[in-house]
Amino acid sequence: MPAESNTETGEVATPAGDGTGETGTPVPDTESIDDEGFVIGSGRSGVVRQLGHDDFDPVGTLVLIAIYMVIVGAMWIFMYFVEFLGGDLTVIG
Amino acid sequence: MEIHRYEKIWLAGALLLIVGFIATVSYGAVGAGIEMINDEGGQVDSTALDEHPKFSEPGTYKTGPNEYDVYVIAKQFLYEPGTSEPIRVPANSRVTFHVTSADVIHGYEIVGTNANTMAVPGQVSTMTVEFNEPRKYGLLCNEYCGSAHHAMEGSIQVVPQSEWNETMVVN
Repeated sequence: MPAESNTETGEVATPAGDGTGETGTPVPDTESIDDEGFVIGSGRSGVVRQLGHDDFDPVGTLVLIAIYMVIVGAMWIFMYFVEFLGGDLTVIG
Repeated sequence: MEIHRYEKIWLAGALLLIVGFIATVSYGAVGAGIEMINDEGGQVDSTALDEHPKFSEPGTYKTGPNEYDVYVIAKQFLYEPGTSEPIRVPANSRVTFHVTSADVIHGYEIVGTNANTMAVPGQVSTMTVEFNEPRKYGLLCNEYCGSAHHAMEGSIQVVPQSEWNETMVVN
């Protein structure tokens, strides 16, 4: 993404310029995010998008883990109940 | 501590897997009657097996109706009996193997089955299995025991009841 702001070289751009809150942390200014650029090689220093704890929604990870659980469960059932218990000459004493 | 709802799901799933594993193994021990091989077989003097009442003449001994004991000595690199001549047991019988070693640790695995134990010098491993159909099983050593370990094998011949006779009792 090209740097297109009018900030001087070496100066890190913040989304809202003077947008610092009372605690010193940057305050998101959603309207100006897309307009403000940044110096190449530096990241945006302000908060780009604020997410609540449960708004993070990695549904792909959830699906992957569900598939993994199903595979592990099916393999366990097959190995224990079919291959092991169904096997010949089980030790019974 | 706040835990994300997805993390709760997969924490619960992981716990369910662990509980499931333990439950199935418990079912195997209690419901299906799977036994672990333990030290109940007792100890023997591995240097004086020829003075042992049974290991001095290893083979198949009848202990009851359709119940047999098979005494096997594993040594480098053969089973006695088993290698030079097959262990013979009748079909539809309950057989308890008593396995020990005369020298180093060997394995005693009935190939392709769940019957498998170590043969430890000085220790008798006992395991009881039920043979149903007449067929031949392979035996192999699955503990590295020396230069010819790979060649240490034997066989078990399950003889049909109609062909079984008392001369086969002690091999």
